[in-house]
Amino acid sequence: MSRAIQIRVSESVVRTVHVEDGIQSPLEMLPILAPDRMGELLAAELEAQGFLRDGDKATRSDPDGVVIEVDLKAATVTARIGESGQLAESIDRRANVAIERKDTVQAALRDDVRRELDERIAARTEALRREVTAKLENKLSDLRKELDRAVGRATIAALTERAASLGNIQSVVEDEAGNVTIKVKL
Amino acid sequence: MSQRDELEDQGELAIPQVAQSEHDLLMLARALVAGPDSRDDIWSLLCATRQVAPKIGPTCANLLEDTLRQVWRSLWQRGGTQPRASYPLDGRGPVRGRLWERYQPVELAFSSATLQLLRWLVQTPFAAPASTYAKLPATKLTVGDQVMVYFALDAARATPALQAIAAQPFVQAAPLAWLGFATYLAAGEHGVPAFDSLTEGAGPIVIEALSGELARRWQASELAKRSITNPAELIELGEAQDAVLTGWFDACDRSRRRDLAGFVLDAIAPLIEREVSPSPLELEPGAPLSVRARARTSAGSLLRAVTRWHAWDQQHRGVRFIDDDYAVAQLLLARFERIGSAGIARVNGWLADLASLAPLPPSDTVSSSEGNRIS
Repeated sequence: MSRAIQIRVSESVVRTVHVEDGIQSPLEMLPILAPDRMGELLAAELEAQGFLRDGDKATRSDPDGVVIEVDLKAATVTARIGESGQLAESIDRRANVAIERKDTVQAALRDDVRRELDERIAARTEALRREVTAKLENKLSDLRKELDRAVGRATIAALTERAASLGNIQSVVEDEAGNVTIKVKL
Repeated sequence: MSQRDELEDQGELAIPQVAQSEHDLLMLARALVAGPDSRDDIWSLLCATRQVAPKIGPTCANLLEDTLRQVWRSLWQRGGTQPRASYPLDGRGPVRGRLWERYQPVELAFSSATLQLLRWLVQTPFAAPASTYAKLPATKLTVGDQVMVYFALDAARATPALQAIAAQPFVQAAPLAWLGFATYLAAGEHGVPAFDSLTEGAGPIVIEALSGELARRWQASELAKRSITNPAELIELGEAQDAVLTGWFDACDRSRRRDLAGFVLDAIAPLIEREVSPSPLELEPGAPLSVRARARTSAGSLLRAVTRWHAWDQQHRGVRFIDDDYAVAQLLLARFERIGSAGIARVNGWLADLASLAPLPPSDTVSSSEGNRIS
């Protein structure tokens, strides 16, 4: 008659994970002036909104971790967010088996525990990723409005420059709806 | 002795005798060629599995040849009878009329690949799990073979066999199948083939005959995109459609037959009129934003093809009366007129919204001017 023994398998894992999400979109710039000049005007507007310019790129890192990068040459905006975390999980499992099957059961139990640990870490990583995505998604609506305003102001500046090249500007009037009237004396 | 008895004695009224498997093969071929006019239940024919001998007899070969002769007629019925204008490159310039009036008679060649396809369709147990099917390997296809592949996909479109047929390397090697059924072929492992075979010889005639069907299929595919929720599925579909349309437009451009890409305009025009964008109503909210954004951009494949048509249209406007291509340019300008500047502005607006940082949610249903509702 075989003896029954209790097997105990204990495994733990600490994993550093990094999740990120991002989106790129074109900026609708009207070709009023040469692309380089349009980029300069947009850069000036973005700098007023806290962007730091580095060559053809204007970047801003917000306190919520979202990094916004505007490519002035390609007229695109990229918003991305990343987060790192250290995930720790441990599992302690016991089983009663006949002593002759000790090694087989122990190996199987250990495999099960490791698989479950991997699944738990994957689920927590996915949850973290969803959190990051939600944070970015919440930001986008405001960001779109902010960038639309910057592009609008850059467009007005471009129109004013273009008007100045045609003659003497008499007046620039902007109404509440955002329509701009530029009077030029030729 | 009656006249009938005399003819029977001479063997002229004798019913041809073929093996049972050959009978099945002929019945299937006739059903495919008859298309919408077929009275056969295609699913029953596909499920009636039977082993076919490696070679068919001369009687079966003659009957199959007779059946394939009806393919031209079938193509006329699918859209060749409508009077239109086209410019076959035979020096006559733009020609108006029915399809057979617009083109000189051309041979529609079939190869042994057609027999290979029919044999596979008869032998495959479509009622069984797909894992049990034998693969139908890719081979070189003539335009006639491609038409039979198209007919097979069309006949099976409402049956569970469609996915299995579309997944075969043989079918994936047929450019015409991609033009008509990109939605189903997109999931395959094989890339989009070159389209040049369809812009020369009998190819343009086939395309013109099927133009109406192609437009309806692409339009249906655009509407279907609105209800796709899985971003990966939309990316796969959109990227395959982009590859098909880019390849097709390039081939049309190379062969100076831009009119053959006209079905794209026919597909999008009703959607523009009814303001139905291909924007998905809701993508899985749990998916990463980067994947959802890629999916939304992919959904604009047909719109991107329309913008390419617009670029062509600008070129056609620059062709002067004294230029050689003036008549052709006028024909193409008339073709694009239905879209016009208002249509292209709408298309560009949709493309911008698909690529937008925070896209506006599309409406669930859109009312057309006639009061119909498209969801």
